[in-house]
Amino acid sequence: MRSMRVPRSPKVLVGLCILGIFILLTLIGPWIAPYDPNDTSFVPNLRPSWQHLFGTTTLGQDVISQLLVGCRVTMVVGFIAGTLATIISLVVGLAAGYIGGRTDEGLSLLSNVFLAIPGLPLLIVINSYLPAGEQANPLVVGLVIALTGWAWGARVLRAQTMSLRDRDFVEAARIIGESRWRIMLGEIGPNLLPIIAASFLFTILYSVGVYTTLAFLGLTNVATWNWGTMLYWAQTNNAALANEWWWLAPPGIAIALVGTSLALINFGIDEFINPRLRAAGLTARQRRRVGMARRPRLGFTPVQRSEVRKKGASS
Amino acid sequence: MRTALRRLGIYVFTAWATITANFVLPRLMPGNPIEQLIGKLQGRVTPEMIAAIKAQFGQGLNEPMWVQYGHYWGQLFHGDMGVSITLSAPVSQVLSSQMWWTIGLIGTAAVVSFIIGTALGVLFGWTRGSRADSIIPVATFLQSVPYYFLGTILIMLFAGTLHLFPIMGAYDSSLNPGWSWAYIASVLRYAELPLTSIVLSSLAGWMLGMRNMMVTTVSEDFVLMAVAKGLPRRSVMWHAARNAVLPSVANLALTIGLLVSGSLLVEQIFNYPGVGNLLVSAVGNEDYPLLQGIFLMITFTVLGANLLADILYYVLDPRTRTASVN
Amino acid sequence: MNEDSLVPVLDVTNFSVDYGYGDDAVRAVSDVSFSLGRSQVLGVAGESGSGKSTLVYGLTRLLRAPGVITSGEVTLHLAGERNGEAFNVLTASEDELRQVRWSQVSIVMQSALNALNPLRRVGKEFDEVLRRHDRTSSKTARQERAIELLALVGLAADRLQRFPHELSGGQRQRVMIAMALALRPELVIMDEPTTALDVVTQREIVSELYELRQKLGFAMIFITHDLSLLVELADEIMVMYAGEIVERAPAVELHGAPRHPYTLGLMNSFPPLQGDRVRMTGIPGSPPNLKSPPGGCAFHPRCPSAHDRCRTQAPPLVAIEDGHRSVACWLHDSSSTEVVPVSLSRRAASRIGQGA
Ligand SMILES: Nc1ncnc2c1ncn2[C@@H]1O[C@H](COP(=O)(O)OP(=O)(O)OP(=O)(O)O)[C@@H](O)[C@H]1O
Ligand SMILES: [Mg+2]
Repeated sequence: MRSMRVPRSPKVLVGLCILGIFILLTLIGPWIAPYDPNDTSFVPNLRPSWQHLFGTTTLGQDVISQLLVGCRVTMVVGFIAGTLATIISLVVGLAAGYIGGRTDEGLSLLSNVFLAIPGLPLLIVINSYLPAGEQANPLVVGLVIALTGWAWGARVLRAQTMSLRDRDFVEAARIIGESRWRIMLGEIGPNLLPIIAASFLFTILYSVGVYTTLAFLGLTNVATWNWGTMLYWAQTNNAALANEWWWLAPPGIAIALVGTSLALINFGIDEFINPRLRAAGLTARQRRRVGMARRPRLGFTPVQRSEVRKKGASS
Repeated sequence: MRTALRRLGIYVFTAWATITANFVLPRLMPGNPIEQLIGKLQGRVTPEMIAAIKAQFGQGLNEPMWVQYGHYWGQLFHGDMGVSITLSAPVSQVLSSQMWWTIGLIGTAAVVSFIIGTALGVLFGWTRGSRADSIIPVATFLQSVPYYFLGTILIMLFAGTLHLFPIMGAYDSSLNPGWSWAYIASVLRYAELPLTSIVLSSLAGWMLGMRNMMVTTVSEDFVLMAVAKGLPRRSVMWHAARNAVLPSVANLALTIGLLVSGSLLVEQIFNYPGVGNLLVSAVGNEDYPLLQGIFLMITFTVLGANLLADILYYVLDPRTRTASVN
Repeated sequence: MNEDSLVPVLDVTNFSVDYGYGDDAVRAVSDVSFSLGRSQVLGVAGESGSGKSTLVYGLTRLLRAPGVITSGEVTLHLAGERNGEAFNVLTASEDELRQVRWSQVSIVMQSALNALNPLRRVGKEFDEVLRRHDRTSSKTARQERAIELLALVGLAADRLQRFPHELSGGQRQRVMIAMALALRPELVIMDEPTTALDVVTQREIVSELYELRQKLGFAMIFITHDLSLLVELADEIMVMYAGEIVERAPAVELHGAPRHPYTLGLMNSFPPLQGDRVRMTGIPGSPPNLKSPPGGCAFHPRCPSAHDRCRTQAPPLVAIEDGHRSVACWLHDSSSTEVVPVSLSRRAASRIGQGA
């Protein structure tokens, strides 16, 4: 097994920090919210001030309270859906890739179908048939999102499983008579970790996006606060035309930041999976430190004569 | 050839699955949404309409499932997708009048953003390690901004505050639709802002993906070989770019779905007449026949786009065309 | 040919290459010096990871990041239109390098499948190279030249219409060789051109190369793991270990009487192309980690004849036996008191002469 050293690039660190902050807010958000997000007793349309850090809405509600309270539902649905989708894709990908044959044909067809059907319209259709009470249930919504979002991960995991199937260590486990599922989970599984992680992050990204979209369309219960419902109310009240940026920007930027953090962490995983992406990773600052004038160009190997001889050469 | 047939088989199967899902979903859902809908509709629409809906969704019929299913297919073959409850018009008619706006807007946006994003990705991948790398965090952020949010912000900046762009509809409503210059110019003008928001939000994704591909491809031997041959840098880059674009095209299947999903909402933000806008109102009004028709239409269009992407791949990669000699 | 070989094509002095920068740097090639005469064939042998590729890619400045050239001079003596010009590779600009590439120095890479653009027909690749050299040439002239080149390596003209994946491994490598000769370069570098091929094809290609060299008179650097392959082809052989040259000698002499224990080990790792089967012994252990090379002679942990001095002092590459071969090994130091194993020694008579 390869060593599991995730590259400690600044990108990954920044991503982890942002994600950490949002996870923290998920845990404590509702407690540190200064006001009740439903409280309409404030002066409407206030710009940001010390009383209302992100101002108030047309309905006289405190924006930052909504943001903090809404963080929890948004993130929880994202994580539920991401986890479920990853589990589905892992089972399907492993089974298709390792067992092969008919199983593979069937499962691949299934994932191809789910890849080809556009997720959001399918989701909207399924969601609209749900009983009204269930539309607000994060678990149900998460499940439905997972149902539309697992196929991509399954495809990638299947390909990787197939490439691992014939490796020596798997062969060895087969010869000593390990059971199929033991080999899949014990031998192949750990080698899939980076890809599982990537697909987990991707599906969370997808789920947060899709969930807030549904909420923005008013398709989830508009009385439970999440970032999508905030934008729904802002849109319904024409916040854009009224130039109420303090109402629009916080939920939108929060969604984008969560997405950015996940994507940044994914960069690190990508570089881990595909070493070519990091091969020549010298930032401008590192170059300056080692005294290189220009970045190395293909077909123009730098010549850097060092007077100080390297260790191994003489001693 | 085998793979081509296989792909086609997948699309046919997907089409069948979508059509069948439309049939099965309302019949399977807990709480029977159709029954509730009919309850709500009593007295609001004509009895014929209610009868039609009942027939379409298999309410109060004693026919077995498979007879209903056969009947459903028969109707579809005649282009009959039921009658929209809110618009009181056949779904097929509603769709055929609105879908061209959507196909025009999203199709154009998709092509434009793919071309620009790919070109930028090639450049940034080629100059990897230079100062241009600072685009990555920006692009990553932009990629994560929801389409509809970006649309809203654009409206706020350019239409709301600066009044530079029209914001509602697809053309100046004082004009008569037709092949007049004024009308076409107004259509283009009204499309600018929605188009920009779709392109801007999808661009970054193409770009980042393409950059990765380019970086990976540049480390291939044949690119170094092109340098060793003393080719000008532009030719070397072309050698790499041609190869790097292939995975991007192969990935279109995944991305087209996401792009279409995202773009549908932009229509709603801009009040653009089209399938996306229709979809949202159909959901809001529980107009199930229309909802089903829209879902079918979107899925079929996406499948068609996938087919086009496959053909493009087939044209671009000789390895798919010729059977291996060995 | 002998007269020609006095005219140099390539001069390399104290050439060193690092991978990485600053404190992370590892030295992959250290202090390599050699020169190559016109239409001579220099064989470079060594185990995997000994720095052979790094050396030649460094020389041509094709080495990818994080490779950095840290010392030395590389002079290319141009021929053709720029006959007689001494071209300093390490100070040249990108444009100047481009002028020289392929028309003066061409290269054949280890894996032909990866070295050909998978989306292009073979003919297009030839056309591109030929047009680059001569923009005024007509398309048909270029095509004729391409057919001529393919004929040189024994391929039919219809291969021009093929994509790389439609050719066999041997055919692809022949295409690469034909392409390398396209602009009549003065120097052709071959980085293990036959390693990925089966033994029969390997031999065919090597003997074809031998004939082509006789006919066209280009100089060649030929890299391989397999010393026995070089004996037939090379005029001189250079053996590398851990980024250094450990022995250099005329091919026949090196093969007949190696002086460095590593060369001997390397010879024993491959079956000879002709002659009786011998038991393969190979070299015990593995090449050193360049990040923390052993002190003294880099080979000492694996060397059967290592003694105290080898563990502390690195042996320099010195000329022995009247200066027509050189070796970096304390065994052959004039002050050495160690007993030289028979397999590494000169015939008894000449050994006495050496002491003088
Ligand atoms: N990009 C790199 N970064 C760090 N070290 C490298 C890099 N490329 C090669 N090396 C190291 O440099 C040394 C020489 O490698 P090189 O490829 O020149 O060997 P070689 O003799 O050509 O081997 P082979 O016969 O396998 O081709 C090896 O020890 C290798 O580990
Ligand atoms: Mg090599």
